[in-house]
Amino acid sequence: MAVKTRDYYEVLGVGRSATGDEIKTAYRKLARKFHPDLNPGDKAAEERFKELQEAYDVLSDAEKRKLYDQYGENWRAVQQGGGPPPPGWEGARARGGPRAGGAQAAGFDFSDYDFGSFGAAGGADIFEELFSRAGRGRARRTNRGADVEAELELSLEEAHRGGRRTLQMQVAEVCPTCQGTGVVKDNQTCQTCDGTGQVVKPKTLEVNIPAGVRDGSTVRLAGQGGAGVNGAQAGDLYLHIRLRPHPVFTVRGDDTEVELPVASWEAVLGARVEVPTIEGRAEVTIPAGAQSGQRLRLRGQGLNKRKGGRGDEYVRLKIVVPKEPSAEERRLFEELRSVSRFNPRAGR
Amino acid sequence: MAGTYFDLDEAVSCDVIAETVGARRSLVVRLARAGLLETVASDRDEPLLPRSAVVQLRRMQRLRRDLGVNFAGAAIILDLVERIEQLRKAVMSDE
Repeated sequence: MAVKTRDYYEVLGVGRSATGDEIKTAYRKLARKFHPDLNPGDKAAEERFKELQEAYDVLSDAEKRKLYDQYGENWRAVQQGGGPPPPGWEGARARGGPRAGGAQAAGFDFSDYDFGSFGAAGGADIFEELFSRAGRGRARRTNRGADVEAELELSLEEAHRGGRRTLQMQVAEVCPTCQGTGVVKDNQTCQTCDGTGQVVKPKTLEVNIPAGVRDGSTVRLAGQGGAGVNGAQAGDLYLHIRLRPHPVFTVRGDDTEVELPVASWEAVLGARVEVPTIEGRAEVTIPAGAQSGQRLRLRGQGLNKRKGGRGDEYVRLKIVVPKEPSAEERRLFEELRSVSRFNPRAGR
Repeated sequence: MAGTYFDLDEAVSCDVIAETVGARRSLVVRLARAGLLETVASDRDEPLLPRSAVVQLRRMQRLRRDLGVNFAGAAIILDLVERIEQLRKAVMSDE
């Protein structure tokens, strides 16, 4: 089924007679709202931003805009073919540029444009310079494949132990029919890719998660990003690790912390009790006279570190008392009250 | 297939950062000296940066390219986004 590209003017929210400045202003305003770096993890914003970029790419370029105004969504086939479309072109399906394909790929597609001379930027209209460089960058992107960023959510146990994870991704690849040109013989739009030069294919990756990754760690899979054109090197896939909150442990760097409820007599007299650890259970000695909030350290029972060794586990004591004491317990507490000289508020 | 693990705290030279992101070395040095990229040490007066500077610089480049902000502005934006994210996580964990 044909997928209709949204009207570029509609995407940017401007009229067809909008000036270049109006288009630029509209783009910047919307880009501020939907930029993926300002909306981390928000897929909808990411998609919207790609749409914006594509629309701006065309409407900010006088030549492309002219073709777009004349031929609508088939403008690209006209541009690549170097002439007007053949009769019946209105029926041809066409989609946006390479970004449209990338939009369906997992993760944000960021291009490695040539920013090498940005250091010299400054002066007249920095925006013009930026976008003209971006234009050159797009030309480069047709060679090396785009880098792709994606998030990988792991449990704390997976991050601790490491292991293999299978990822299902949608990755843009060079169209096998038109070899990325978007057109086939007689300047016809390639039907396989609808003129985008790319096709989105499911890809299964098996990833080795090293033990000791943390929230915010990045795993790079070289050559697993977008495909390169004409045999050029593929881009890289960057997996940003996110850890799911754990129901028992909180994490502080390499250390874990767990709350341990203890009875009042265990706190007073001391006790040896079991506590959960990231790898099972361990015994801990509660010293006599322990206080609520006191932290006990289990050395080497925390998370695996990347460079070997383990962090520590901290056990935070929480003294709890029976909500409904039995008659005997109540009697003993009353007896304790009558004999004890302990004043918890002494010195206040 | 094995992934290449990035120790994001590993100190690397400006050359490594520049080569990875395709920027000029002088730009990386300038951003580091201006405090817009975190530095962890210096080697013969040349700043050494954590490898995480690659991700940071790429984000700054994208913001510069897409929103027209300069590098100083991009650094502030990313800092604020990170703080918002931390606050959001803190609020979520309190709920």
